[in-house]
Amino acid sequence: MTELRMFLVQTKMNFIWYFRRDGEMVFWTLAMPVFFLVLFSFAFSTGPNAGSSGFLVPGIIGAQVLSSGFWGVGVMLATFREKHLLRRVYITPMPPWVFFASLVTYRMVLLATQAVILITVGALVFHVHVVGRPWEILAVLLLGTATFVSLGTIVGAVARTTESANNIASILTVPLAFLSDAYIPIDRFPHAVSSALRLLPSTQFIDTLRDVSIYGVPLAHYGVWMGLLALWTIAGTVISARTFRWL
Amino acid sequence: MVTGLVKAFGSVVAVDGIDFAVQPGTIFGLLGRNGAGKTTTLECCIGLGKPTAGSIRVLGLDPTRSRDLAALRPKIGAQLQATSLPEKANAAEVLELYAAYYGMAPRTQELAERVGLGDKLDRQIAQMSGGEQQRLALALALQHDPEVLFLDEPSAGMDAFGRRIMWSEVERLRDAGKTIVLTTHYIEEAERLCDRICVIQRGRIVADASPAELVARYGGDAGVSITAEGFSPDAALEALGTWTRAESQWKLATRDEPGLALAAIVTHANALGAKIDSLDLHRPTLEDAFVALTGETILEVAQ
Repeated sequence: MTELRMFLVQTKMNFIWYFRRDGEMVFWTLAMPVFFLVLFSFAFSTGPNAGSSGFLVPGIIGAQVLSSGFWGVGVMLATFREKHLLRRVYITPMPPWVFFASLVTYRMVLLATQAVILITVGALVFHVHVVGRPWEILAVLLLGTATFVSLGTIVGAVARTTESANNIASILTVPLAFLSDAYIPIDRFPHAVSSALRLLPSTQFIDTLRDVSIYGVPLAHYGVWMGLLALWTIAGTVISARTFRWL
Repeated sequence: MVTGLVKAFGSVVAVDGIDFAVQPGTIFGLLGRNGAGKTTTLECCIGLGKPTAGSIRVLGLDPTRSRDLAALRPKIGAQLQATSLPEKANAAEVLELYAAYYGMAPRTQELAERVGLGDKLDRQIAQMSGGEQQRLALALALQHDPEVLFLDEPSAGMDAFGRRIMWSEVERLRDAGKTIVLTTHYIEEAERLCDRICVIQRGRIVADASPAELVARYGGDAGVSITAEGFSPDAALEALGTWTRAESQWKLATRDEPGLALAAIVTHANALGAKIDSLDLHRPTLEDAFVALTGETILEVAQ
């Protein structure tokens, strides 16, 4: 009961403090993806059409999940440590799982909101038809978020400073977004390359998200990839728990 | 209780064999200049640092063992020197969050008033002065009514008003039976608050006693000086201590109560019919004791 209340209050504060930050932050997380969608839709095709935008909507959502994990969580944790916020929390009886569960919940709500905005803009402006079952799409999105938050926590654990966390997050996020079928179809690469890239958890996540949402493939079809994502999540959580430093 | 505590950061030995015991229900102070090892010692006591050697027991628990530390956390409160709170949070929210951490119903208004922040609950951390943040940090440490309180440089960055509020709150806590361990480099603060003081220099304890004992043992002589034409001490006054003379000024250095010596001197001067031009009394202070103990002047402390 006590820990549940800890979790609820911590989560509430995460939202209050986040939305109190300057409008710029809200703009970056909520409006930037839409801007990407519009920009890339025009850049990669001759005009608004369901083909490229339909590819991009789940791709951008997926890329947001990656950056949310590596930047949002990884860099934030390093910053919290550097600013000595974590050591104050460390001397309270709050169990670590409460802190991280609240972080994951907060990111999940934020990403689900981004997804709804992108899907809405995609449907209204670019005639993207999302034919998948909503709960299946949500399930993929939430599992992916859990995976990349847990991997992002490792970044926050191993980085000594905010600066090095920033560097690690950039090295991971930017190339991964381009190599994981988010913005550019990896089928354009030679077959051997694209097959290799499909071993990445980011590719498996984004492809599943796209096929389930846009092409209406039943989620059951991707059981193996979902199982692998779950394994990545477990591995990420275990490694984070072992390497994370509060001080 | 701390025994043989050593803490090295690489080749730098911050704490070099420290022993002390704190009586429950008292205010215990670690006094020393910046970098003497006070913070390191305090942080080892609350699990924020692993000692290189030595042992620590707080309420019978060993903060270096995770199981003990988990049992200890609800019983101790701390105000840290190197810490910060989320900038966009306001005081009320932080107090509510920390109440949840300790499984308590929020006592936001009550705690804020105790540290003089009753009318600043909706102020964001980023807009608070350093002293206000320190007082909020104290309120957070009091959230769960802990048995032992660790305060690291509690008055750093505080103005006279904030310091007074903090001091009276710390005294109130001691009177309520709590044990308080604090670090400070303000002699005035140590003298006013502490029941017992450990003077620390370069990671070692150079003295451990009550403020009055420190002054008596290391503060040097008390003194009375008198400038009066026709004055000279008689045998009775000679017996009080050591007299020195410069021009028409006579100085007495004594280990006894200087007030009584002063009275005797004035009586004698009157009996001689000597006209007193000036009369001064000097009592040794904790500052005198600190300077004598560490060889560090206050100027050095200020740096």
